[in-house]
Formats: sequence, C-alpha cells, structure tokens
Amino acid sequence: MSENFKLTPLKIEEYTLANGLRVVLNQDNAVPVVAIAVYYNVGSRNEREDRTGFAHLFEHMMFQGSDNVKKAEHFQFIMKAGGTMNGTTSSERTNYFETLPASQLPLALWLESDRMRSLAVTQENLDNQREAVKEEKRLRYDNQPYGQIFDLINEMIYKNFANSHSTIGSMEHLDAASVEDIQEFFRIYYAPNNAVLVISGAVDIETAKGLVETYFGDIPSQPLPPELDVTEPREVASTYREWEDPLAPFPAFLMGWKIPKRRTPEFNALYLAGKLLYDGESSRLYQKLVKGEESVIQLFGFTDERRGPSSIFVGAIPKPDKDLSKIRETITAEIKDLAENGPTAGEMQKLHNQLINDTVRTRQSSIARAQNIAEYALYDGNPELINTDLDELLAVTPDQIKTTVDEYLNNENRALLDVKPGSSS
Amino acid sequence: MTEDFRKTPPGSLDPIPFSIAAPFRTTLPNGLKIIVFEDKRFPLISYRLAFGFGDANDPDDAGGLTSALTSMLSEGTESYSSRQLAEQIERLGASVSASSSDDFTIVSASALSLYNADILRLISEIVFRPTFPEDELSLYRRNTVENLKFQRSQPNFLANEQTARLLYGQHPYAKVSPSAEEVEKLERQRLTDFHREKLIPNNATFIVVGDVDTSELVKEIEASFGDWQPGEVAAADFASLPERSARTLTIVDRPGSAQSNIVLANLAIERNHPDYFSLLVMNQVLGAGASSRIFMNLREEKGYTYGAYSRLDTRKRAGDFEATAEVRTTVTGESLKEFFYELNRIRDDTALEQELMDAKNFLTGVFPIRAETQEGLINLIVSQQLYGLPEDYLQTYRDKISAVTPKEVQRVAKQYIHPESLAMVIVGDAEEILPQAREYAAEVEIFDTDGKPRDVSDYGKADTGETADVSGKWSLKVDFQGQQLPVSLVLTQDGDTVSGKLETMLGDGEIADGKVRGSKLSAVARAEMQGQEVKFAITGTVEGDSMTGTLSAPIVPDALPFTGTREG
Repeated sequence: MSENFKLTPLKIEEYTLANGLRVVLNQDNAVPVVAIAVYYNVGSRNEREDRTGFAHLFEHMMFQGSDNVKKAEHFQFIMKAGGTMNGTTSSERTNYFETLPASQLPLALWLESDRMRSLAVTQENLDNQREAVKEEKRLRYDNQPYGQIFDLINEMIYKNFANSHSTIGSMEHLDAASVEDIQEFFRIYYAPNNAVLVISGAVDIETAKGLVETYFGDIPSQPLPPELDVTEPREVASTYREWEDPLAPFPAFLMGWKIPKRRTPEFNALYLAGKLLYDGESSRLYQKLVKGEESVIQLFGFTDERRGPSSIFVGAIPKPDKDLSKIRETITAEIKDLAENGPTAGEMQKLHNQLINDTVRTRQSSIARAQNIAEYALYDGNPELINTDLDELLAVTPDQIKTTVDEYLNNENRALLDVKPGSSS
Repeated sequence: MTEDFRKTPPGSLDPIPFSIAAPFRTTLPNGLKIIVFEDKRFPLISYRLAFGFGDANDPDDAGGLTSALTSMLSEGTESYSSRQLAEQIERLGASVSASSSDDFTIVSASALSLYNADILRLISEIVFRPTFPEDELSLYRRNTVENLKFQRSQPNFLANEQTARLLYGQHPYAKVSPSAEEVEKLERQRLTDFHREKLIPNNATFIVVGDVDTSELVKEIEASFGDWQPGEVAAADFASLPERSARTLTIVDRPGSAQSNIVLANLAIERNHPDYFSLLVMNQVLGAGASSRIFMNLREEKGYTYGAYSRLDTRKRAGDFEATAEVRTTVTGESLKEFFYELNRIRDDTALEQELMDAKNFLTGVFPIRAETQEGLINLIVSQQLYGLPEDYLQTYRDKISAVTPKEVQRVAKQYIHPESLAMVIVGDAEEILPQAREYAAEVEIFDTDGKPRDVSDYGKADTGETADVSGKWSLKVDFQGQQLPVSLVLTQDGDTVSGKLETMLGDGEIADGKVRGSKLSAVARAEMQGQEVKFAITGTVEGDSMTGTLSAPIVPDALPFTGTREG
C-alpha cells in the first residue's frame, strides 16, 4: 500500500525581508493555535576553541530581557497568554519556539523581535546564567549515570574541533567570558540575516506578513558570520577509550561511526539501516540481545543528523555477568548480515509504513510542523522539502542500504567507548 | 531608540473560539463502554482499551502482578510468538502496547487509519488469547530484576521511593515498584488466573479517536469484543492513609553526588475532588511552571538550580502535593529556606489578582494545544472517563478554571500545604546535606541507595570540630607496593574550600573544589600523565603540621596510604 501513499502537501509560503530574515508561513486552521519558531544559524559548531559553551549560554541569555522586555518576562508573557515555549541548542543551530492561542501571534512576534534587536547583554545576566548553566551541567551530565558518554564519544568520532566538542562546553571557558565576548557573539550570530522565522497554524497570511514586517523589518542586518569548516577525514579520531563513571551501576559500552551528512543518499540509507538494527521490539538487535541471547538490560541507538559529517550510535548496558565482547560480536555479526544480504522485503515494508506513519503523526502539531519546516529552511534553504523529503526516504532501495552499511559500518573505523562503573566511595 | 509600539506588549487579534465536540458514547450488553471521537484531519487512528484496575490492586501476596500482566500480554498468544507479534505490529508502522499505573491498566495503539481492521484484530489477540509462555515470563523476571537494580542509580527514583513510603504508609500507593523478591516469585498460573479475573468488559472502556466512521467502527468493535464474557469487579479495600504531625527529614545517602534532589511533600487530594480546579490554579501560581513563584525565586533570582517546581499528584483514591528541585549540594540549606518561604507566603497572602489572572490564562490557553494531536485528545478523554469526571469535563474545563477566586486559592493553599508537618526527602551526599538541613526537621533518618537504614550518628562527626587550616606546602610519602614515593600538595584555603596543586614525579594536577570539614580534608586532583587525564582522590586528616590519609586513582587498585608534614 505504501507505494501509493500520497501525503497531503502542507501550504508553504516563503519570502525574505529586506534585512535578510527568511520567513516561512504555513497556514492550518484546524485548531486555533499558532506556533512560532525562530532558528538561528549558530550552534556549538561555530564556537572558538577557547570559548566553548557560548551557543548554549546564549540560549539562556535570550530569556534575560531586552529593551522592552524585562528579565524573565519572556516566560511570563508567553505563559500568561496561555502559551508554552522553550529553546534548545545543538551542534547545528539554536532554536526558540512558542505555541500560543492563535490570537496571540502579535505577542510572540513582539517578544522574538525585541530580543533579536536589543538583547540585554549585561554582566549581571551573564553571571546569573553562567550559574544556571553550571547547574544544568551538574543535573544532566555530572549527576547522571552515563551522563557524559555522548560528549565523550563525539570527541572520539570527530577530528575537527567544530564537530567534536560538547554543546554544554567548558565551564572554565564560560567563566572566562567577558560581556564584550558575549556582545560580539550576539552581533555576529543573532542577526536577522542569520535566522529563519517560521509561523505555523491558524493565521491569516496577510495579517501575519504585516506583523512580521512591523516587528522585524527594521532590525539591521550584519556582515555574514565567518566561513565554517566542518570537513572531516573519513577515519575516526580514536577507536577506543575506557571511561570510569562513578555513578554507573553496571558496565556499558557505546559504539559510534562517522557517516556522511544528512539528506545524502548514504545518510538516508544508514538512518534506515539503524532503524532496522535497533528501533522497536521487532528490530534485529532487540530480538538478538534483549530476547534471544538476553544479554542486555538496555539497548539503544540513534543517528546524530548534521549538515556536516554525521554519526550513528549503538549502545548497550549489559547484564552484570555478561561478556561485553560477545555482545559486540553479535552486533557486528548483525551489521555484517545487513551488509551482505541487505534488508528483507518484510523489513522494507516495515520501514515504509513507519516512515509514513511518523511523518503524518508529526504533522498534527503546529510546533512540530514549524520546527521541521525551520530545519529545511535553515539547513537546505528549501522549506518545501517538508512535502518531499518523505519520498526521498521511501526511494531508498534495499541494495542501497546493503552497500552503504558495508561501506560505513565497519569495525576498523568505529569509536568504541567502554564504560566501567567507578567506586563512588 | 525605541518606537512607541515596541514599548508595551501588543494586544491580541480577535480570539478564535475553540470547542471540543462531545464524543459518541455507547455501552455493549456485556458492559464494555465505547467512546468514539471522529477526527478526519489526518489518516490516523489512536486507540485505548482502558481497565479500571492497576498496580494498587495487586494481590497482597503478589506485588508486581499487574505490571507483569501488562508486559506479558504481547509476549505470546495462541496464534503468535512474541517475535511474530512485534513484527506484525511494526510492519504496519503501528504501535500496540499495554501498561499499568497505580489505578489503571491500558492497552494503547496507534496506526494509519487504513490498518484499522488489523489493529482491532491485534488488540483482541493480545487481550483475549495471551499464553504467558514460561520462557518469556522467566526472561521478564530476570530483566525486571536487573532494571530494578538500575533504577537505584537514579536519584529521582530514590527520592520518589522514600516520598511515597512516607506519605502513603500501608496504602498501596506507598510502593513505587515491586521488590526483586516479589518479581522473582511471579508464577505463570497466577498470571493466567489474574488475566481471566481482571480483563473483563464490564470494567473496561474502549476509546477511539481519529479517522473513523463511528457507526462502522462500533459494529467492528462489537464483532470482536461483543462475545467477551463479563465478570465480577472486585471491590478494593485499601489501608487508610497515615496522618503526619511533625516535619521529618529523610536523606538517601549518595556519596559524591553533585546535587541534592529535594522533595517536600504532603498528602493532598484525589483527582475527582471538588477542590481540584482551585488547587490547580494555586499550584500554577506557586510552582507549576517557569513563571511560577518557586522557579522565579530559586532559579531566576538565586541561581541555585536548573529548575524548581511544585506539582500535584492526584490519583484515583488519594493524591499529594510536592515541591521539588535538584540543587547543587552546597546550597541545600539555602534552598530549603526559600522553599519554606514560598510555601508559607502562598498560605499567608492572598495571591495577587494579577498572578491569579496569569495562572488562569495559562491553564485555559494551553488547553487547546493539548488537544491539537490525537494522542493529546485521547489522553484527555481517558482521564475524564477513568477518573469518573463529569461527561462534559472537557467542554467545561476552561470555565471551571476561570471561576476560581483569590479567596479559594488561599483557602486551598492553607488546607493542602502543610509546611510544619511535611516530609522532606533529600537524595545526595548525606555528610554535606545533614549539617545544612538538620535544623529544619524534628526527626532525621538516613538510608543508603539500597533502601537500608543507616545510623544517623555515624554522620556529621567531622563537623563538630573547628575547621582546620590546611594551607601551605605539604610533603607526603605515599606507600606504593612498599616504596615511599614523594608527592607534594600546595594548598590554599578560603573558608572550608581548598584549591591548589598536586605535584608528582609523573606530572602535576590541579585541585579544585577541595573541602575541609573539621580536621578532614577531601579533594580531587586532575593530573595529566603521559597524555591521559588521571583523577586522584585525596582524603586526609590534619593534626597540626602533620597529615595522614590516602590517595586513590583509577590506575591503582587500592587506595595508597600516605603520611606527610607541612613545610615551615
């Protein structure tokens, strides 16, 4: 059936303001809700070697007030209008988004434009948010078992500093940051011509356009940020590391491979191969390691999708008495089988149905639509990909999966992080 | 220069009305209730087959039985093995699974609408014909026991475990998970009997939201589920809830923890209590969100934490109020002070008109956002149905929120927040926490991460003396396999915080965040040795100008003892 499935296209209208801000509108009147997503083209990949953690620190600073919005009022304005909001930082971008009753579109645009044009970069805000970031690091990384393994393996996979360092960054670098450093970072990266604004939901297109022009039209553009080099050699930076984690109750391991950038035929093929290996209870590794040999407590895997060299991971927390190397052999054997024989017809049918189901389900929510559209607009310069990207994934052939797995998922060019439980006493 | 229109927040556009239609409801002769909500926006369907029993209804001698039942439903049926079921479900791109909470057991599914018939067939397969194969059950037991061990490494789990025990006493809500012993003795026969006894249509509701034709769907459900034989719904008899008279402190000692997980809790109300909406609004003002008082105080003003909140846990038969935060260890006491300040403030002041309006606007405004997706909408309908809320609950929700008055907010704050008799649970480094938190409670108890009680008098000993002065250069002799290796410590001290340098023949290390408690020094030095970072843990006892202690590092199996003197 999936061969004849036709996605109902989303209505997309795209234009650029005189100052370079790219705007995408997606009207959908089903529920009187509107989602706004502002994506800045800055992530940890843009950070200097002595100033890591800046992109993420900025995500905090953006809630600390601007000319007409006092510290922390951003939250309050959104919440008391009946909305939800957040911001996140990745290697690729920093995003800010809110969902509100549709009538509150002007409020959202007022708030987003005020911080884009006049963020309050003060010593007090900087000091305060540095502490909040340190707390976040303690909570999410230092105080969680296995909390640091993804940052560690990225350093093993990538050689280029732009790719290898963590988003949370170095607390020493944050402490060393001056207000001037932060102001400069803001000027360079938080310019309208370095951002994408997406509005999705129950909006009148002409009204939305007028409001966007009013609030964003006169924010001055800036010279484009410095060119970024995210190129990588094919080989990983290091193939093995042992890590003692004082909070880990059990040994664990994480394997990572460096793979081509997102939306290439190779990335798509490996993304699908990954789903077959570790996604869901019918996946190959779940059946082998959780059911068959019943060796692991937890099995997980995912792809880290980037505009430059990307990565794919498989990790496991084995049962205490199990031989880790045997589990890795099982994983290797399953990958090898995929490389030699490719996926079965049944597996291809599963992939197709899952891709369609996930794509349709994601489209229900205005904020999910806005975020997906923003990524295509920012990364690919083409928001219409929201309507065609599914076809590209559905077009991946079993043979492509087979040959790409064979080419990329080999043991010689794999980063392996062995986690040993440490003594906490 | 700012143009005038930017100075104040803009007004809103014309509001667009939002209403949720009343769903279709019917009941089959065997007692199965059916609720259908047609939503043809997307070619999708979401399903819930929900039963009015949960983990709290586990037999006294079979803890974990409900949870095992739900996990085992899809691990083998008369027609399919566990693997075949997983393949059938996932080949449709669908999901079908079962889970239990304290009060309910729910089979959930979602799929593209063209697979409706397959999904109904799969749901009836796992509900009517599970076989609970011995080998799958045995695997379930082993995996669950391992997962229980794993959970004990999570500070949140440890905090919830103690909080539930303290608040609910002998009531089944006191248990957040079965014990390993209980899981190990779960028998197949028990599951088979329990399945027959509990999965009955007259204690179930089948809820469907999505791209369906209501009358056809009802016919299909009737065809598959109409022959289902009703049974007897067992009345539950639960222990009464304990009464608390004094504030208590319970610490779960997790040595070396970077943070303290704080939970302050007392009993409150069950989900269908008439005070629900007033309490919901009160909690929104106090701590439910990122613009609530607790967050504004502990995170935004003080910077003690990444997030601090309060929440209502309202279940079928009882519920509680909790204020929580994960704060850095050194500000545990300060954080408690601010928590109590906020808990008392909302009891003693009438919430400001504006704050109340903001809270109500938030709760009414986000409601349509929650109903935007099928999963969101079906969960709202499930709550309405299972908690026995009025049939027009979703239609009147926003009016009920809007009707809450400041007086009501203050009344429920006084009635349901008890700063003087609440339970304080803190997971973290007990040596660090105890001196900061002791003054807030009449009684103190300490547990280890296995849940075993510890002797409180073993803690806080180093605190009794004055803080020693450890600053200066120390020459240490470290005993390594009979050899005496020279090592130096160069320390500076500020209050009880120590920094400095560790010097060895193989390389030097930086000391940050060292601590002196009484005469005890503890510090970690990070040294670079032959290109590798090595972490040394230093513990020492200082007496005048001499120090004894140990040095440990991952590269050596046992801690190395040392003796040393301060250079003049």
